[in-house]
Order: sequence, then C-alpha cells, then structure tokens
Amino acid sequence: MKLTNVIGLCLIAISVMFTSCTKTEEFKGSSLSLAVSSQVKGMDPIYANDRYSSNEVARVYEGLLEYHYLKRPYTLVPNLAESMPTVSKDGLTYTFKIKKGVMFQKDEALGETPRELIAEDFVYSIKRLADPKLQGLGWWLLDGKITGLNEWRKKYSELPEVDYSETIEGLKAIDRYTLQFQLAKPFPQFLYALAMPFTFAVAREVVEKYGKEFLNHPVGTGPFAIKDGRFKQTKKIEYLKSTSFREKKYPCEASEEFKKERLLEDCGKRLPLVDRLTVNIIEEDQPRWLNFQKGKVDYVSIPKDNFDQVIPDAKNLAPDYIEKGIQLIRSPSIDVTYTAFNHDLKLFKNVKLRRAMSLAYDINTANKLFNNNQAIPAQSVVPPGIAGHIEGYVNPYRGTGTTENIKQAKKLLAEAGYPEGKGLEEITYDCPNSTASRQIGEYFKKQMAQIGVKIKVLQNPWPELQKKITTRNIMAYGIAWGADYPDAENFLQLLYGPNRAPGANGSGYDNPELNRLYKTASIMQDSPERTALYEKMNRIAAEQVPWVYGVHRQNFVLRHSWLKNFVNSDFDAGSAQYLSIDKVKKEEMLKKL
Amino acid sequence: MIPVLLGVCFIIFILFSVLSPDPTLIMLGKHASKTQMMELRAELGLDRPWFIQYFDIVRSTFTFEFGRSWSTKQEISEMIKNGAIPSLTVTLPAFILSSILSISISLVVSFYRGKMIDKATVFVCVALMSVSSLAYILYGQMFFAFQLGWFEISGYEEGFPNFVPYVLLPILIWVVLSIGPDVRFYRTIMLDEIYQDYVRTARAKGLSEKAIMFKHVLKNAMVSIITYVVIRIPFLILGSLLIESFFSIPGLGGIILNAINSSDFPVIRAMTVMSALAYILFSVLTDVLYTVVDPRVRLR
Repeated sequence: MKLTNVIGLCLIAISVMFTSCTKTEEFKGSSLSLAVSSQVKGMDPIYANDRYSSNEVARVYEGLLEYHYLKRPYTLVPNLAESMPTVSKDGLTYTFKIKKGVMFQKDEALGETPRELIAEDFVYSIKRLADPKLQGLGWWLLDGKITGLNEWRKKYSELPEVDYSETIEGLKAIDRYTLQFQLAKPFPQFLYALAMPFTFAVAREVVEKYGKEFLNHPVGTGPFAIKDGRFKQTKKIEYLKSTSFREKKYPCEASEEFKKERLLEDCGKRLPLVDRLTVNIIEEDQPRWLNFQKGKVDYVSIPKDNFDQVIPDAKNLAPDYIEKGIQLIRSPSIDVTYTAFNHDLKLFKNVKLRRAMSLAYDINTANKLFNNNQAIPAQSVVPPGIAGHIEGYVNPYRGTGTTENIKQAKKLLAEAGYPEGKGLEEITYDCPNSTASRQIGEYFKKQMAQIGVKIKVLQNPWPELQKKITTRNIMAYGIAWGADYPDAENFLQLLYGPNRAPGANGSGYDNPELNRLYKTASIMQDSPERTALYEKMNRIAAEQVPWVYGVHRQNFVLRHSWLKNFVNSDFDAGSAQYLSIDKVKKEEMLKKL
Repeated sequence: MIPVLLGVCFIIFILFSVLSPDPTLIMLGKHASKTQMMELRAELGLDRPWFIQYFDIVRSTFTFEFGRSWSTKQEISEMIKNGAIPSLTVTLPAFILSSILSISISLVVSFYRGKMIDKATVFVCVALMSVSSLAYILYGQMFFAFQLGWFEISGYEEGFPNFVPYVLLPILIWVVLSIGPDVRFYRTIMLDEIYQDYVRTARAKGLSEKAIMFKHVLKNAMVSIITYVVIRIPFLILGSLLIESFFSIPGLGGIILNAINSSDFPVIRAMTVMSALAYILFSVLTDVLYTVVDPRVRLR
C-alpha cells in the first residue's frame, strides 16, 4: 500500500470518528449538577478523611445523628437514631434507639428480601473503624474513648485475623433497635463523632461479599444510590434517588436568617428533592468556573482570580451576574490560618520575641492581598460561630500595619534581647509549594524585615512539610486548620501540650496553665462554665502568641436562580438531599447564559 | 532488558523507600498519632528490612502484581486499565494527526527550502513554540469552548462515540502544541537528506520531484522519523498531565499527579515500571522497524 493511501485512510478514519458522535439520552426528572475540586478516594466510610470523599460517602450512607440543615449555630439532630440519646448521669453511657423500618439499598449481597438496618450494623461499622488490619482513617475520633475498643484493636493487631463476633464492653446492641456506648472517660464531643461519615452504618454482608472492593460498591440507607451500583474512578459520579429511602421530610424549623431567605417553602416535602445527582470532579478553577457560567453546574465557589470580576466592590455581585439570576451566598468558614513557631527551640520560648513578630505582621494588608479583604483577622485560635470565641476581643499583640505597632514591636524585640534584630539568627519559614503559600511566605518575610528579623522562605511538597513538623526539624511554618466539628475543643487541642507532633499540636506549644484548663474543659458537657473556660484559654492563646495568627476565612458561593434551598455549611455531608431544582426557571434562565 | 529493569527497581527503591518522606503522615492526615503511624507502617510493610522491600519491588515488576493504591485503596491494575483508555482517546488521535501533519508540512517546506513558504513556516513554528502550553489550554477553553460553544468545556463520557465531543478540543490543542517542534525536527531531517548525493543522481536520471520526495527522501528519512515517533508511543498511554487536568479527562496523567501529591508509592512504582518496560519494548520495536525501512540494517 502506498504511503499516500495510508495517510488518506487514517484521515478518513479520524474524521469518521469525530463526526459520528451522538448525544446521550436526556434525563426526564429533576437533576442536580455539582462540581468538586478534588479526587474522590472511594466510598468506604472509614477512609473518608477529606471533605470531598466524606461528602460522597454521605450521599449513600447515613449515621445516627446529623446537623440540622437550617439551624445555626450548628445543632445535632437525630438521623438514623429515633431521638437524641439518653445519657447517664456520669456522662459515660449513651443509649440510642434507632429508627425502625430503615432499609439498605438493594444489592445482590443482600439478597432479594429488603434488608433492615439494625443496631448490630452500627456495632459492626464502628468495629470496622477500629479494625487494625483496615487502618481506618477516622480512628483518632474514637481512640481511647469507648471502653474495651482500644484493647480489642490492640489484641487483633497482633493476630492474623480479626474476630468481629467478640463482644466489646463499651459497644453493644442491647436489642434489635437499641444501641449502647459505654465511654472510657467523659467525652462530650462524642455525639459529633456520630454525625461524621467515619461512623456511618454499613451492612456486613456487603463488606464480606466485596472484600477489598467494598469501597467501590456503596450500599447504604441514604437518599441516593450510586448509578449501576458501582463507583468508578472517573471524573463524574452519578447517583439516582434511592428507591428504598425511608420517608424523611424537609425540615419545618429554621434559624431566623434562613426563614428570611424563605428556605422553609419545601417544609414537609419528602426527601431527596431531586431525582438525579451528578458530581463532576473538575480540579482546575477555570473549567469549573466556565461550566458554572454555562449553567452546567448549579453552584460554585468563586475562584480567587475571578473575585474582583464577580464582586468588584468587595460587597455586591456585579450587575451582569445579577441579570443572569445568579446569587451570592457568603458565610464564615470555621477555620484559622496561622504561622506556627517550633516551641522546642529555645528561641521561641521567648514570649517577647513572639509578640514582637506578631505585632510586625500587618494582618489587614495580608487580608487584602490574599483574601480579597473578605476574611476576618484572627485574634486568637477559636473562630467565630462557636462557643469560646470572644466577640469584639482584640488581641493586644495583633499587628495591623500602624507605625505604633512597629514601634512597639521594635521595643519588644529589644527587650527580648535582639535590638533591631541584632544577634537573632535567620529564621526559616516553611510553607507548602503552592504559589499562594509562597506569596504569603514572601509577605511574612517582608513584614519581619521591618523590625530587623531575617526570614528565609522554604517551599516544600506537602509530605516534606509534614515530615519536618513531625520530626521537629523546623523553625516556623504557615498552615491552616479547619474544624472537624463545631466545638472550640477541636481548635484548642492544637495548643494542648500532650498533643505535640505527630499529634495535632504541631508547634509543640506547652503551657501548664492552658493544659490544665483544657484537661478540665475537655470532659465537661456544653455549659456556660465550659464556655467560660474556653474563653479563658482563648485569651491565653491570644496573649501568649504561640502562633502569629492569620485569618478566619469566608466562603463565597454563587448559585443559579433555579437551585433552591442552598445553604452554605462547613459540615455539608448529606446536604444534597435538601436541594431542589426549578426546571421551568432553569430552561428560561439557560437562554440568558 | 532484565538488568535494565533491575536498575529501574533499584532507582525506584532509593527514591521512594529511602529518600521520600514517611507516607503514613500523608495518609493519616492532620490527626496522625505516633502509635497509628507505627501501626500503619507495619500494615504497609514499611517496617520490614530494606532488602525485603527491594525484593517486593522486583517481584511486582516481573509479576505485574502492583497491589493496591495506598491513597485510594483501588486495585492498581484496574486503575491503569481505567485510566489508559481515556488517555489514549486524546493522545492517540492527536499523535497520529500531529505526526501526519508535521511530516507533510516538513516535506512541503523542505521541497521549497529557502523560499517564502519555508521561512514563514519556520517563523510560525517558532512562534507556536514560544507560547506556553497553559496559554493554549486556557484561551482554547475560554474562546472555543465557552465563548463560541464549539466544544465541551470539560468532562468525559465513557464509550465510543460518547467521549468524542469531549476530546476534540484537547486533541486540537495537543496538535497545535506538537506541530512547532515536530515540523522543525522533521524539516531538519528532510533537509539533511535532500542535500545527499543520491537525490542529485535521481534528478540527473530525470525523476520527478514528487517521486524524489516520496520515494527517496521520505524513505531515507524514515530511520530518524521512526526513532522519533516510535519512542514517543509508550508515553502516549501516560497522557498529558496538564490537558487531562484542565479538561477533566480521567486518564493516567491525573492518576500520576494525584499519586505524586499523596506519596502513593505503589502507584508511582507501577507507573514507573510500566513506562520503563514500554520504553524498552518500543526501543526494540524501533530496531525491528529499521530493518523494514532500511534493507542495509539486519538484526542479529
């Protein structure tokens, strides 16, 4: 065959391939389309340790408790539990009645007869989380908390196989619908653990049938079932409304802010409110943003680079977006960003040096540069929106860029033994290797130079940075912490001495007074006394400056007018069941996009 | 081949078992505790003697049993199978198209060497090469997909022909990205041949320019062309990190990127071994193809 003929044939084949594309069949019901920015690891609850994976898990699986969709501050309400648990006087025994008639989704592992959820399923699911062979990533949540669970885990970590039939003292199904937890020590945050996907109920038969492939065969009791019964490692996850989902209704109570937004219009309607849910994994900002503008995604977080274009005056949405019916939703994120010092080093045991550095750091300019001036400058460790945050409190060592701040910082630096930075060694500042992190590092360097403190910025791949923190081979580093649950304890533990790295206290800060208060507060139930202790710790954390505080970030989300009931939340696992689509409005608005 | 693979295994072992940070820190995330890290290290086999860990790498290289990803817990062979097809749906047509176009353009410009068309082509090629690949992706997506609506912005559907609308723009961008360097490379090869004595002889014998270009110049240039083309084939399967990321194509490029970011050693190891193996096989294939295009070359 001549070369020209070969080339001709290839061209024909390619052109046929390109022109023969057909459209896929159109879905008739209401369909919700979301975009997420990161890979989803799989659908096994015990490995769902990132927000993206846990959200996917929570579409199919459910737990005993959940956060009320329309209440702030965040409030726990029963989900698979019939009611909130009865708690013994000593705060150690939690007894749950679970709902009757809750069915698992159909799967060949469960046979033809519908399979009902029972208390034993929770016992099994929590044992899975503790199973040393599986190394579930949420073990930290229950480590040392349930009587006998640690012993069970330890015993089987040394044996070749784990025996799930062995009874654990603190984890029992009293009868078919009654579940009892016996805690080893008071742990008031225990209920939050039961609203996290790590503890969601799985069916033993499904786990045993699929073995290691269980993570690709999600079968839960939740509102959505994965299409074709299998999770594929693709960039698109499709769910259909679960036919076996119980009669769960849209809430009829809400906080005032949500009532004003008329979010109770669907009160009493059966959930989920859409027939199909598509999750598109779009890792880059631009395609996610363009897909939203084309109406292919129902809501999106505003990419940093598009912020000025969308909210030109930093307050209101640009007119052309309003014309398209797009709406802006802003809400504070329960997090804190900070520059931590390594307190193992003698250098940073000098509180005057830490205070001087904090005063030299102009947080207002940093906020403008890196957060479009929309974040809240952090005064201490506990973010707004949770008990322990002190409204209106101003950290006396919080730098805001005034000449007075710099003057005071220089004075403190001299008192610390380093007048104008003389005698002070160069401090390395480690950060992750993203562009934004590098910019923040360079800004930190510039700020410290004002008082004569020399900084060297070092960028690291994330694993390398983690290694440096754990091995204490670090001086200062920039990092952030997002809430696992809405309790100040989750933030204050970052400064609790015994939690030092590789625990959550990466800086190794160890203050006997703060440790004592933390130990007392961490076993107290929610009460004004506990809040007072949290506030006291928060003040100590502010004035002792264990870190140079950054900001509490805000979320900016845009949604299309056809998307109903959208509420931005830091704990949004399971929230898709409350969302609905106005199909008529969507058709009308799509013409304008 | 075996010594090369053993060498590759050794390099992988040094890079990921000796020099890289502890993967348990990444896997356990912000709640890592000393005890759990130790337990996980034991579970992953990272506490075993170094020679056993090295032997494991060698064994998986020769048995293709790569195990499961540490990060996603997925079967690696399944991940490779699932990712290779989407990658190939972009890279293969793009590679064929760009190769055909580049060779054709090179033939034309070398025929008109030194003339306006040649100079203009070289200028365009240099211009195309001067623009960053990210710029092509960003503007291509913004202008052709978003503003003109000719293509899908991003996404992927499994199965032919469902994937076709999603791969058109990535293919186009790949072709534009490749044409600059390819044309310059092929043109240089063609020009080397055009000034050879046998071309003058052919002209003296009265052969047409078309016959000279296709029968003699192209055929003699094939040795270099084959070397350049065939050796790139194994890398097609790995896709393009940037294109796959921007167009949300679930290919191997994205899998590699995620594996690197999460220190997912078994996945990185599998990908490195597969690439090395493919590289060796295609190098052998190149040698075999030399015998087809050049009768003077014989395999021993």
